Amino acid sequence: VGLLNPLNLLYALSLAALVAIYLRALSRPTLEVSSLMLFEEVPAPAAKSRLLRIDRFFWLEALALGAITLAVAGLYLHVNQPAGTNHRHALVFDLGAAMGATTENRGSSRLDDARRAATQIIANAPPGDRFTVSGYALEAETFRAAGSGPQEARDALATLAPAAVAARPAALRAALMRARAADQIDLFADRPPPAAAIDDAGLVGRLNFHQVGAPAPNLAIVSLDAGVPRSTVGRCVVRNFSNRPQYCDLVIEAGGREVFHSMLIAEPRAEIVVPFGPLPAGGLVKARIATPDALAADNQRWALAPSIAHAHALVLSRDAAVRDDLARIVLAINPNFLVTAADPDSFKRSQHFDLAIIHDSPDQGVNADSRLLIFPEPPLDGSKRSQLVPVTRSVALVELQERADAGTLSTPVMLGPARVLAPPTWMEPIARGVSVGEHQSFPLGAYGFDGNAPVGVIAFDVRDHLLLDPDRMDALVLAIDLLHRLVAPRDVLIEPTGSFVTVAAGAHARLIAPDGTTRALVPDQWGAVRFRPLQSGRYLVTSNAPAVAVYANYYDAGESDLSAPATASATSSSPSPVATPAPSRLSVRPIAIPLVILALLALLGESLMLAQRAICWRASHV
Amino acid sequence: MLEARAFEPEFLHKLDGLVLGTRRARTRRAGQRIIGRHQGGGIEPENFREYSPGDDLRFLDWNAFARFDELTIRTFRAERQLEITIMVDASASMAVPVDDDKLGLALTLGAGLAFIGMNENDPVRLVAFAGRHGGTRLETTPFRRRRETYADFRPFVSALKSGGPTRISAAVGDLLHERRAPGIVIVISDFLVSPGDYEEALDRLLGARHEVKVLHVMGDRESTGNYPPGNYRVRDCESGELRDVVFGPAAAAACRARIADHAAGLSAFCSRRGVMYAPAFGASHLDEIMAREFPRLGVIS
Repeated sequence: VGLLNPLNLLYALSLAALVAIYLRALSRPTLEVSSLMLFEEVPAPAAKSRLLRIDRFFWLEALALGAITLAVAGLYLHVNQPAGTNHRHALVFDLGAAMGATTENRGSSRLDDARRAATQIIANAPPGDRFTVSGYALEAETFRAAGSGPQEARDALATLAPAAVAARPAALRAALMRARAADQIDLFADRPPPAAAIDDAGLVGRLNFHQVGAPAPNLAIVSLDAGVPRSTVGRCVVRNFSNRPQYCDLVIEAGGREVFHSMLIAEPRAEIVVPFGPLPAGGLVKARIATPDALAADNQRWALAPSIAHAHALVLSRDAAVRDDLARIVLAINPNFLVTAADPDSFKRSQHFDLAIIHDSPDQGVNADSRLLIFPEPPLDGSKRSQLVPVTRSVALVELQERADAGTLSTPVMLGPARVLAPPTWMEPIARGVSVGEHQSFPLGAYGFDGNAPVGVIAFDVRDHLLLDPDRMDALVLAIDLLHRLVAPRDVLIEPTGSFVTVAAGAHARLIAPDGTTRALVPDQWGAVRFRPLQSGRYLVTSNAPAVAVYANYYDAGESDLSAPATASATSSSPSPVATPAPSRLSVRPIAIPLVILALLALLGESLMLAQRAICWRASHV
Repeated sequence: MLEARAFEPEFLHKLDGLVLGTRRARTRRAGQRIIGRHQGGGIEPENFREYSPGDDLRFLDWNAFARFDELTIRTFRAERQLEITIMVDASASMAVPVDDDKLGLALTLGAGLAFIGMNENDPVRLVAFAGRHGGTRLETTPFRRRRETYADFRPFVSALKSGGPTRISAAVGDLLHERRAPGIVIVISDFLVSPGDYEEALDRLLGARHEVKVLHVMGDRESTGNYPPGNYRVRDCESGELRDVVFGPAAAAACRARIADHAAGLSAFCSRRGVMYAPAFGASHLDEIMAREFPRLGVIS
């Protein structure tokens, strides 16, 4: 027996008030009568027990008040049930990339070990127990809801697969919160869960942590920079997460041909920067580690080398300094660009461009395959001309707070004036900020496809060499990111795993995953499909439009580090992947509803008694 | 209060034409019990008799003396009006329970009977009685004979306050000390005294050759025992005595039985003594009482 909110027992003071009322009633009011000769035969029948002679109304009201007080205070019962009787198990699995790591000897993954342990728990469970199977990586996912029997749970275990993403603590917290109603929670992970996540989940049942896997050597490709073909060398960074030196057979391919292949020796827990190239031509570049190691997802990486073909870029701005800055950035991305910088007032709009960068100028009449709008002009008063990206107002000072690839910035970047945009729904914001003095954030950068033409927008002004300011590098990174997206080939995308990928596709779009599975995608009204690559490798989106290949890169410094010692946290009760015997459990059963029913019955009884008296003694005297 | 109704035109209109009947003749022969030469004071000739010395020469019939040469004295019927005394109990018990307004009922009935009595030009007075400091409080109005003077009772009725114990026999004793001619005495009270007290009082009135009528007044709640249920400490308003009582259905039934026994005892005594008895239970039943119980007191139309 316990109370969920003992402070509410203060409502029991109402009982004291009730007792006071009745004690006062017991003081016997004096009634003046004309003569005692009329009452001499009806004396008080039990004068000696006066203090105990509290009538039934008192007990009924005390019962009602007491029941309501206990209900408000949250009275509950610990119901002790024998083990195995309707036991509810929750099997929670870490589905991060590290769970796909294999051991050197057996070749089975950590998830396989966890699956075996869970299967043993299911097998040892008494008949009648129910199971919930859930996992977490980027987010929590339930594979088999509560109430499933052993066979359904085993089937759900077979469907578990690790994702090439890092398991997020928030996802773990969500998974535990979903499982907190279970009597016993078995958590399978390769590393101890954060204590805060367990505390936040507010678990009622018992949590058994099963740490699976042993420390294993792992090599990972941290980054791949293709360089500029025929101009600059590319770089591949490889990291050794082992405490021992490791051989690393690194292969770099471009255009289907090996451009680099070398056996390297990686120092313990160190990074190797491997230069290669310059590449002879642009296109897709793939780096892979041929040496087998525990985790395969981070052994391959893709990058795009800029095309060596000449492309025409237009930079439109009334500010000569802005034109100069933007032209330099475009040439830094791809020196093969032929950049035309012009003042919009004197620009002849008949020429066709591959890329147009338009700063604080109207974009009408510009003939370009893709365009980047920077600090777009607000509409003139009374103008009915529709804008590609509507501008609602202008603000004098804005802070960049969030970028898609970096998340929330630790230090907001103070920028200059900006436009407050209302991006159309086909655009995806990739940066957000707030106006100084306001709280509501708005997009500072967005990207999308207007039909088949990619369009990017930067809301803040880039005058006064803002993009070259070393203190505001995030603005430059945002601009380069957008330019990369705009000049990237339409049929090839390179994205990190776990990110949402938007691809322009036609009807009957299908997605072919790296493992060969296929599923249908439904395009939105602008013909774009979105999906989230959770495997490292090549995804292919096919439709009646040209196919698009999406290469998903995976790397996470924490998740790829498989050398962490297998130490169980304080919350674990079973460090080995062996199921603990199911203990007898205490389940909490609030009894507020029975208490309220009891109070209502007491009040109903009192009402009946009052009605009875009313009938006997006239209603005016009750 | 209820006594205010006694002076309302509607109330008095109902009493028009009513007469308070009496078992005794209103006239009697003069000189029957009178020592001396007192003549009847009326104007209706009754008889002739032979003159004897000492007779009042004003009543000598000179016409008969001229015709018969004998001295003859004319006698007249002595017209005598009955004095009606209406005794209203003004003890503390008449004010309890407050809701019942027993005193108001008693005063209203008493004033109504006074008005009826004045219809025959009988002299009527109201007397309020109660105990006080071991003695008796007797408040009396002058006799009023004509209906035009009925309103003179109003200050008395309005100002009368209840208080003190009920002592009917003592009050009657004080009243009889006035040694007035026998008449009609109407006693209006709740008679919440010992039977010996009211029996002695009524016997003394009868002994003084008064025609006695009794109007037994009780309140609505008092007569039904309809008190709020629960534990109470009741206090006698006259004696101050306390008693713990549990009101409830049983107590109410017992109370009603006590009232019935008490009224039956009083009624039986009155019946034995030839006293007219009428109950008047409940101020809310004033009109019914006047219609049903007044005839028992000899009120006729």
